[in-house]
Amino acid sequence: MLSLHISASSGVPVYLQLEQQIKHSISSGLLQPGDQLPSTRRTAAELRINPNTVARAFQNLERDGVIRTVPGGGTFVGEAAAAGQGLLKSEKLRRLRPLANQLAVEAAQLRVVREDVARLLNEAFDALHSSTDRSRKPKSSATAETDS
Amino acid sequence: MTSFAIQTRSLTKTYGHGTRKVCAVDDLSLNVPSGSIYGLLGRNSAGKTTTIRMALGLARPTSGSLEVFGLHPFDDPDRVTVLQQVGYVPEDKGLSVGTPRRLFETNRAYYPNTWSDALARTLIERLELPLDTPGLKLSLGNKTKAALICAIAQRSPLLILDEPTIGLDPVVLDTLLSILVEECMSEGRTVFLSSHQLHEIERIADWIGIMDCGHLMLEGRLDDIRARFRRLIVSGTSLPQSGPSIVSTRPSGRGTEYILQQDPEAFAADLASNGATILDSAPLSLNDIFLELCRTRDGKEVEA
Repeated sequence: MLSLHISASSGVPVYLQLEQQIKHSISSGLLQPGDQLPSTRRTAAELRINPNTVARAFQNLERDGVIRTVPGGGTFVGEAAAAGQGLLKSEKLRRLRPLANQLAVEAAQLRVVREDVARLLNEAFDALHSSTDRSRKPKSSATAETDS
Repeated sequence: MTSFAIQTRSLTKTYGHGTRKVCAVDDLSLNVPSGSIYGLLGRNSAGKTTTIRMALGLARPTSGSLEVFGLHPFDDPDRVTVLQQVGYVPEDKGLSVGTPRRLFETNRAYYPNTWSDALARTLIERLELPLDTPGLKLSLGNKTKAALICAIAQRSPLLILDEPTIGLDPVVLDTLLSILVEECMSEGRTVFLSSHQLHEIERIADWIGIMDCGHLMLEGRLDDIRARFRRLIVSGTSLPQSGPSIVSTRPSGRGTEYILQQDPEAFAADLASNGATILDSAPLSLNDIFLELCRTRDGKEVEA
């Protein structure tokens, strides 16, 4: 069972917290393509949050190709190839930019040079890939970036 | 097109005359969308209960308009139709005579078409309410439970709850939140509740309105409000002290702390392009937002 945690007082919109946690569960292999997600209503009741908020998170995830909804049949984790498929590269980069800015600010604050930050980022990518490889079959070529 | 369960336009209510005139609700324009959980927040005597009483036709506005499902609750014959569609938990929770069992039997007689015995039984069990204790001997928490069960089991399309969490322990409170989300939202009901328990409201509400001294300070979808408000810590020279997006500024170390209420990214980008350094940018909790808005208002009144 997928465990989600909401911190209402963190100030981060609840639908964003849900989106991030589901994306994280998928990239870490906790959820795999084809896995069923609990319904909007059940998720809302379990987390004691507004069902409209859950619906908003699910809609955004579906728009991004992360999950897919079968009418009357539930919500499932999408195929890895479908994730982000509908997005232009410029939009993907726009979403990542705030995180990059934050990383640059923190690094400058700690006087860490950019080569070390780049190394850190590479290590994070490696860790992510090895953890998904362990829990998932090797990626097919279909998962490769197609719109670069 | 969004329809509204409750809508007010320039609603005003004053009590008393001359020098003793008190303006409880002042030019209030609220929009409570159908199917939402709407949290009306405010300090003591902010005008929440007066607004609720007007929505039920228990008080007549001095000026302005108020509609519940497009009907006027203080005029006959609309009044009866409105009351049929509203489940109400009053501020004082009532129940000074009789037992919860008697209360439920009376209420069932008022709502013969919609009252659900099965739902009432489920709620009594989940909230652990003793049925045969006289009202005088019931704790505040148990009176609150009785009033809540009464209002929810009559299955009206609109629930108006005035301070519904008073006296409830954390376990019962958690159950209540779950009940409001499950039982009420699944049937597309609208829940309009007043509170100062910001943590609970922050979880379940999708819309909030913040009132202070009879005025509406802020209204909107909670997630949008969260995205609009931000705390920014900036260092630099000749920083702006006021502007449409600034709620307050105060010195913070060698920098300045801003509380922003709209377009925080644009504001930060503007400062950065003028040579300032953004040291920190963090979201605000509903509690922070509430304190900032109500505190700023106090400050302005002292100055004036």
